Amino acid sequence: MATKDPGSLLSRLPVDAVDSETRDGVLFALPYLLVFSVFLLYPLLKGLYMSLFDWNAFNPSQSEFILADNYIRMVQDPTFWAAVRATLYFVVLTVPTLVILGLALALGVNQDIKGKRFLRTVFFSPYVLTVSVVSLIWADMYAPQYGPINYYLEFFMSNPPAWLNSYTFAMPAVALATIWWTVGFNFVILLAARQGVPERLYEAARIDGASTWRAFKDITLPQMRPALVFVTTVQLIASFQVFGQVFIMTDGGPGDTTQTLVMYLFRVAFRQQEFGYAAAIGYFLFVVLVAVSLINYKFVGGND
Amino acid sequence: MSTSISTRFTRPEPKTVGLYVALYGAALLFLTPYIYMVSTSLKTEAFAFSQQPYWIPPEITFRWYEAVLQGAPIFQWFLNTLIIAGATTVIVVIIDSMIAFSLTKLEWPGKRIVFTVIIASFMVPIYANMVPLYTIISDFGLINSPLAVILPFSAIPIGVFLFAQFFKDLPDSVIEAAKLDGFSTFQIYLRIVLPLMKPAIAALSLYTFVYTWNQFLWPLIVLQGENSFTLPVGIVTTQPTQVFQPGAEMAVTLLAAAPLFIVFLILQEHLVNAVQMQGTTG
Repeated sequence: MATKDPGSLLSRLPVDAVDSETRDGVLFALPYLLVFSVFLLYPLLKGLYMSLFDWNAFNPSQSEFILADNYIRMVQDPTFWAAVRATLYFVVLTVPTLVILGLALALGVNQDIKGKRFLRTVFFSPYVLTVSVVSLIWADMYAPQYGPINYYLEFFMSNPPAWLNSYTFAMPAVALATIWWTVGFNFVILLAARQGVPERLYEAARIDGASTWRAFKDITLPQMRPALVFVTTVQLIASFQVFGQVFIMTDGGPGDTTQTLVMYLFRVAFRQQEFGYAAAIGYFLFVVLVAVSLINYKFVGGND
Repeated sequence: MSTSISTRFTRPEPKTVGLYVALYGAALLFLTPYIYMVSTSLKTEAFAFSQQPYWIPPEITFRWYEAVLQGAPIFQWFLNTLIIAGATTVIVVIIDSMIAFSLTKLEWPGKRIVFTVIIASFMVPIYANMVPLYTIISDFGLINSPLAVILPFSAIPIGVFLFAQFFKDLPDSVIEAAKLDGFSTFQIYLRIVLPLMKPAIAALSLYTFVYTWNQFLWPLIVLQGENSFTLPVGIVTTQPTQVFQPGAEMAVTLLAAAPLFIVFLILQEHLVNAVQMQGTTG
């Protein structure tokens, strides 16, 4: 291990003035900083650089500097804006439901009921599945010919939607599968947050004769606010970057109705080999995510 | 307490009944996809394509499992995934705990800037970075190598942040005492900090392992040959039967989901803690 003899490396350098704590501090930081610089910081800078070129994926030295042309192309690209709309639609379909359903399940399981552990296992379990497993199961369940969902819907309606092949219902179908997959994450975090609310607050409210609704509004929600903001931020970021579900279940279709930003980025980069343009889209996504996070952090910061 | 005794022996309130119906009804809905997967993987072709969902197959067959085990290198994928998730976890725990120790317990010029940069980079999604990262991995000649996944995932800063949160609470007096006993910085890290931080290490290891094991997009980009696939990539890019068969698809899905699901059932408490830890420190 490189750290076995932390002294030998730097003691040979002319840094006698550096005290041993500084030397050890730097040495302990070095391994991570190396990986971090090469595989996170450097790509971040290189992405900005690449986005200013008509990048030649096969022979980068043939790339042509075009300044902001990739960004200009982006704002004029209808497929890009369709991807922005699809992404926003997915965010709207998933984030509020994921937070509210997660909260409802957490408050329910927190009640005095039998089988808490069983319920927690069931609601949390899909979270450990990979997106491929989730997508393949749900794609089969949605299948119009042999899937169980439409079999049951036919008792209620004569012509149930073709789900993943439907312009209207493909995205809601992907959203529903996503909710099943990730609501367990919010559920366990909100359950822990609810259990952290001091019981005496509720006792005091009961003595004051407050209704259940009042207790929820005036105690539960404000006390759980940091956790609620946290799960909302995490879900916003995750939903903005949705990829696997649409890639596997619909491949962006039908038409481009479920082609989200990361899906489009993937297509531009690895099917059309337009690395410069893809890097520009990647940078756009990055800026949006930073903005979303900052707005949320500010939101939390006010209550700290 | 008299009130609790009296409520225990009276009939349950309608509100309680409603709660049970809602929660256990939701639980049943949550279990349906699992039941579908298991039952379809055991159905004969005729029943798998039937309109009517036979939740309990009238006729059971294992032919899809045989087809999958013969038609797809699923064991190789399992090994690849294990190597990638295992190596990433080990690297993350070592390098993240080292730098977190340095940032919280050692004084050196510039560390505040370093810490700020790392925390700020929290927001850099690996997806937004994927095109430049791909060219870098490609320049290193790492396409198709497990390292193409291991190294970028080792750079994610969440572990540094979580470890730093825990190390901050470690009393400085413990470290001062060890220094007086003549411990070197490395000995303090190895013999004092790490043993005291076992719960944090366990939680972060489990979290990193599950996170890396389940990754899809990045392995899909950098692992391009069938034999270098991970389980999440392999099961959607390779079809084990000549024509599409729901039974075969659900069999391969179940085999891919099983290893981590079993780990989850055994280590459930720890994984839940690991997830909750993020919520409370984040």
